[in-house]
Amino acid sequence: MSNATAAAVTVKPRPFAGLQRLAGWAPLAVLVLLCILIAVINPNFLSFGNVVRISQSAMVPMVLGIGATLIILMGSVDLSVEGVLTLAAVLLSMLVLNGANANELGLFAVVIVLAVGAGVGCINGMINVYLKVPSFMATLGTWFIGVGVGNALLGGMAIRINDPLIRGLAIDRFLGFPWGVWVAVLCVIIALAIQNYTRLGRHIYALGGGEELAALSGISVAKVRIAAFTLAGVFYAVGGILASAQLGLGNAQIGSGRLFTTITAVVVGGTSLSGGRGGILQTVVGVLIVVVLTNGMVLVGVEPSVQIGVQGVMIITAVALSINRKLMKIVK
Amino acid sequence: MSNQSDGTNSSRFVSRRSVLKGATALGVLGTFPAIITRRAYAQGAPTLVNSIRSLSNPYHATWNKGGAAFAQSVGAEYVTLVTEGNSEKGIADIRAILAKTGGNAVINVDPNDSPDARPIVEAAKQAGAYVVTQWNKPADLHPWDFDPNYVAHISFSGVPYGKAMGEALIKAMGGKGGIVALGGIESNVPAYERRAGLQQALDANPDVKLLDFQVANWSANEALEKTNAWLTQFGDQIGGIWAANDDMALAAVEALRADGRAGKVPVTGVDGIQLAVESVLKGEMAGTVAWDPFWQGGMGLAIGYAAKTGVFDPAKEGKEHREFYGTGVVITAENAQSFYDTNVKSEPQLDWTDIWGRASGQIQY
Repeated sequence: MSNATAAAVTVKPRPFAGLQRLAGWAPLAVLVLLCILIAVINPNFLSFGNVVRISQSAMVPMVLGIGATLIILMGSVDLSVEGVLTLAAVLLSMLVLNGANANELGLFAVVIVLAVGAGVGCINGMINVYLKVPSFMATLGTWFIGVGVGNALLGGMAIRINDPLIRGLAIDRFLGFPWGVWVAVLCVIIALAIQNYTRLGRHIYALGGGEELAALSGISVAKVRIAAFTLAGVFYAVGGILASAQLGLGNAQIGSGRLFTTITAVVVGGTSLSGGRGGILQTVVGVLIVVVLTNGMVLVGVEPSVQIGVQGVMIITAVALSINRKLMKIVK
Repeated sequence: MSNQSDGTNSSRFVSRRSVLKGATALGVLGTFPAIITRRAYAQGAPTLVNSIRSLSNPYHATWNKGGAAFAQSVGAEYVTLVTEGNSEKGIADIRAILAKTGGNAVINVDPNDSPDARPIVEAAKQAGAYVVTQWNKPADLHPWDFDPNYVAHISFSGVPYGKAMGEALIKAMGGKGGIVALGGIESNVPAYERRAGLQQALDANPDVKLLDFQVANWSANEALEKTNAWLTQFGDQIGGIWAANDDMALAAVEALRADGRAGKVPVTGVDGIQLAVESVLKGEMAGTVAWDPFWQGGMGLAIGYAAKTGVFDPAKEGKEHREFYGTGVVITAENAQSFYDTNVKSEPQLDWTDIWGRASGQIQY
C-alpha cells in the first residue's frame, strides 16, 4: 500500500515535465515572436545597423542583469545596482583623462573602479550575512550610499570623459560592433563559466533551492553569499564603466532608472525571484526582450504615452508564460 | 483574587505614569536648546534658505552656488534644503526652519510640485518670514493675496525658448530637412510649453518636417535608446535633433557619435549646463538656453531679502514684479564663447541690487 503511494508520487510529476521544459523556452519564443512582429512592420529592424544599435543598448543592461542574476538565483535581491553603477561611473570619470581635473590613470582607473565595485558588493554580503540584515534592506542602504557618495564627489556636476580608451568602448569597433559590446559578451561567458563549472556556481543554485538543506550538506552559506555579492558588485562596476563610456560623462544621475530595467530583464528571462531556477542564459534572453521592445516600439511607431503600458503588459505576459504553476503552492 | 488584580493594575498604572513623567522631562530638556537658538536667530540677520529638489543635478547645484554667493555678499547665514523629489519632506523641512529661526528667514523655493506652494506660503505668512517661489505654484495662488510675506513668484515661459531652439536648429540645418524631437515628462508644464514652442517654429518653416516625437522623460539613458532607434528608422533623413533639455541633447550627441555623425547632425537642448555650452563651442550642439540657475538661486533670495530689510514694500509693487517671467539667455555658436568665459570659467558676477533687471512681463495663466 505505502509502496504504491510512493510510486504514485514519483510518477505523478512526469506528465508535467514536458510542459515545464516548454515553459522554460517561453521567453525565447516571446523574443523571437517579438522580432518577427517588429520586422514585418518595419524591415529595417533586421538591418545590420540596427542589430548593432540594439547590441549597444543592451550592453549595459546585460552586465547589470548578469550581476543581479547571481543574487536572485540565491533567492536574495540586490537593489544596489544603481548605487554601484553611479559610484563606478563617477569615480571613473574623475580618474581617467577628463574635463575637470588633471588625473590620467587610464587602465589603472578601471582596476580601481572594479575594486570599488567588488568592495561595495562585499560589504553588501557582509551586512547581509553577519548583521543578518535582509538583502533587500542591506542593498537598499548601499544603493543610497553609492548615489550619495557620487553626489558628494561631484556636487551635482557632470564630468566629461576624454580618455580615448574609455570612449573607444562606445565608439571604436571590432567586426562591426563597439568594443563595449564585446566586453559585455566576455562578461556573459565568464558568468556562464562561473555558473556551470565552478563550485561557487553550484552553491549559488543550492542556496536558492533551499538554504537550510545547503547548510546541512556542508556548504558555507556565509562564504557563498559574500562571494556572490562581491562578484555582482564587479559586474555592476563594469556596467558603470560602459554607461559612462556610452554617454561620455560621469554624473550622479547616470544610474537612475536602471534598477527597474535590470530586475525586469532578469525576471522576464525566467529566473525565479524565489531563487534556485533560471540562470545567465535566461537573463541574456530577458535583457534582449526588454531592449528589443524599447527599440521596436519606436520603429513600429507606438504612441509615446502608450509605450510604458505596453512594457507592463509584456512583463506580465513573459512571466506568466514562464512560471511553472505546478511547483508553486503559495503565491505572495 | 480581585485584590491581587487591583495591585497589578495600580503598579502598571504607576509605571506608565513614571514613563510619561520621564518623557515630559525629556521633552522639556529638548525644547531648551530650541528656545535659546530661536532667540539667537531672531536677533541677528535673517537666515537665507534655498529649498530645491536635489544637489545631484547640475541645474540645482548651480542654483545653490548662486544662493551661497548672495548670502556671502550680505553676510547672512545660508541654509540649503533638499526635497529629493518628496513634497512632504520639502514642506516639513521649511516648517522646521521657520520654527528654528522664529520666522526671521527669507525662503527661495522651487516647490517640488505646484500644490506644495500653498502650504509653504501659508506657513511663511504665519511665521512672518518672506518667501519667493519659482517655477511651480497653483495658478490661483498669488503673491498679492499674502502681502507682504509672499514677495514674488518667478517662472520662465517654455514657449519662446522652445521656439528659439527650434529656430536655431532649423537655421543650422539650412532651413530644410527632417527633425526628430525628444520631449520631457508628458504631464510636465515646461515639457509641454517647450514642445509648443517647437511646434510654432515648425509651423513657420514648412520645409522642415517633424519625423517623430518621443518622450524620453528628461533622461539621458532613454534619450540614447530613442535616438538609436531613430537612426535605424530614419537614417539619413534626420537633419537635426531637438531635445527639451540638455541631458537628453547630450545623449543624442553621443548616439550620433557612435554612429560617426556627431557634429554633422545639429542638436539643440535647453538649460544651459556646462557640458552643453562646451558642446555648442565644439559645434556638436547648435544651441541651448541658459536659465541661469545661479541668478535664480541668488536673486530669489535677494528679492526676498530686499523686501525683508525694507528696500521695497511688496504691497506697493506692481503685479509685473510680483508674478513675472525671468529672462533666459539663448546660447548659439555666436555667443557661446563669451557666455562660457563670464559664466562657466569664472563665477558669474551679478549685481544683487538689480532685483527687477530680468523681469520680462507678468505671468499669463
